[in-house]
Amino acid sequence: MKIVIIGNGIAGNQVAFTLRGQRPDLHICIISAEGVPEYDPCSLPYFLGGEAEKKDIFRKTPEDYIRHNIELVLNNRVVSIDPEAGTVTTDKGLEIGYDKLVLAHGGSLFIPPIEGINNPGVFSCKQLSETEKLHAHKGSRAVVIGSGAIGIEVAEALKKKGYEVYVIEVLNWILPALFDEPTGQRLGEALREYGIHVCTGEKVLRIKGAHGVTGVTTDKREIDCDTVVVATGVVPGTALAKTAGIETSRGIQVNLRMETSVPGIYACGDCVETIDACTGETAMFQLKHNAIEQGRIVAENILGKDKNYQGAHAFARAHFFSTHAATFGKTIRGTECLLGKTEVIEKENGKNYLRVILLDGRVIGGQAIGKYADIIGLLISAMWKKEDINLMKHNWKTLSRTRNPGKFPMIRLGHIFGFGV
Amino acid sequence: MEIRREQLKIDLEKCTACHRCTLACAMKHHGSIDPRLSRIKILEFREQGLNMPVVCMACADAPCMNVCPMNARKRTANGSVVTDDEVCIGCRACVYICPVASPAENPYTGRTMTCDMCEDDESGPWCVKACGSQGALTVCRNDTLVTEAARRQALRFKRMCF
Repeated sequence: MKIVIIGNGIAGNQVAFTLRGQRPDLHICIISAEGVPEYDPCSLPYFLGGEAEKKDIFRKTPEDYIRHNIELVLNNRVVSIDPEAGTVTTDKGLEIGYDKLVLAHGGSLFIPPIEGINNPGVFSCKQLSETEKLHAHKGSRAVVIGSGAIGIEVAEALKKKGYEVYVIEVLNWILPALFDEPTGQRLGEALREYGIHVCTGEKVLRIKGAHGVTGVTTDKREIDCDTVVVATGVVPGTALAKTAGIETSRGIQVNLRMETSVPGIYACGDCVETIDACTGETAMFQLKHNAIEQGRIVAENILGKDKNYQGAHAFARAHFFSTHAATFGKTIRGTECLLGKTEVIEKENGKNYLRVILLDGRVIGGQAIGKYADIIGLLISAMWKKEDINLMKHNWKTLSRTRNPGKFPMIRLGHIFGFGV
Repeated sequence: MEIRREQLKIDLEKCTACHRCTLACAMKHHGSIDPRLSRIKILEFREQGLNMPVVCMACADAPCMNVCPMNARKRTANGSVVTDDEVCIGCRACVYICPVASPAENPYTGRTMTCDMCEDDESGPWCVKACGSQGALTVCRNDTLVTEAARRQALRFKRMCF
């Protein structure tokens, strides 16, 4: 049986190496649009900031593929799929046949329709080749468009390289998809303290300059700069799936076994639309741990083990200079369409801040800054266990005396919430 | 699922929070008795009379290995999950995702550290030796911890019902 995997990212490699671990006889082929072995996109900002060396961002070496007998077709972008004939065609005219196909080509950077976005002084930090260009670029003033996790990490990296950095966010607080307004405002303040200019509620209208950036015009001000970094999010690559007649909406549609609407074609990673593990609604979390889990599920199902995917969950951290923050699950903004009673527990202690979001007493999300972030893992396990926090508070007297080790994370949590006093 | 070859068995009833294990751990790994350098932490809840040693459980499907942006969390031959000091950048993702909040941050380097069961010492983990006759910490090999837990549970069930 020949397995063809499109995309040499985290998800694609997880599929390939899980399959190889269980079946030494399969013919596995990975087609990649890039020319390097698997690397970790999460570590690119650290490479940019000089905290990590280039060799450390790779998860695999070329020898790993040879040793595990995985065929690697590099520098070939797949342009169409023919499910009838069972072949894929690349932009170099290569035609590769398959028995089972895995779509793990991920997403591409969302390029906002701004005047001058194709200027050579505009960079991104999604792919290694782009990041290397930015790494080699010499400048002194940078504008980062978008304040997602990548945007903030790039801003920190550029600041460490000695740039004067502006972060421009169209919404009213930074990291809007991951954090709620109170947390986002606090993080924005922290960023400002480190000397990064944070402009929220502002829209970039124009990037000026003919051969290189000379400035950026927003709806509130003019900023002189020589570098622009676009970090406005990732859109799933659905165009390729459409050539095979696979159903797509925001991302590629898959069933619980990660199989697409065309039998024999699976999808995983940033390009799929999955369900939220906690609430069961349709969701997209383009995060590394989900890609790994989905890759595993695809591999198991190709081997005929019939495993169901439990759903994705959000977990992200914002780490800049000496500020540490973490978030998981839903934000209060994300719960607006959910039935049930939502509550918010807030704790503040100097610069440390904790915000827990409850739906009918159960933890469905949380955000923390500083000291509280260290224990956010306990809240994540409370989310998985579907512990009722209000019931826990009610039973605190007996619960706190239990010697059942399974309850200990909850006891620690109770102490943090202050049920003991 | 892979069963961890060596595990620490923690008996809470016997722990008195004397912190000898913390000192031994810091001494073993960093050559100083700074308790902040210990990979085992003891939480004390005085009102409940509960002392809770927290140590890396080396989960079978360890979430920290999935979320680390630098892929610095690695599984060693004896089943422990440790941080690769060369690669870690101190982003603390492993601290946040950990269901028992066990990774500790080295205050001097900013990198995280977890229990490696003192794998380079053939006489066994130092914390177990330091605990000594107190017996709150013991080493279980292969799946004996699971068997012991099952037996203990069975005993409790029998006492309850018969």
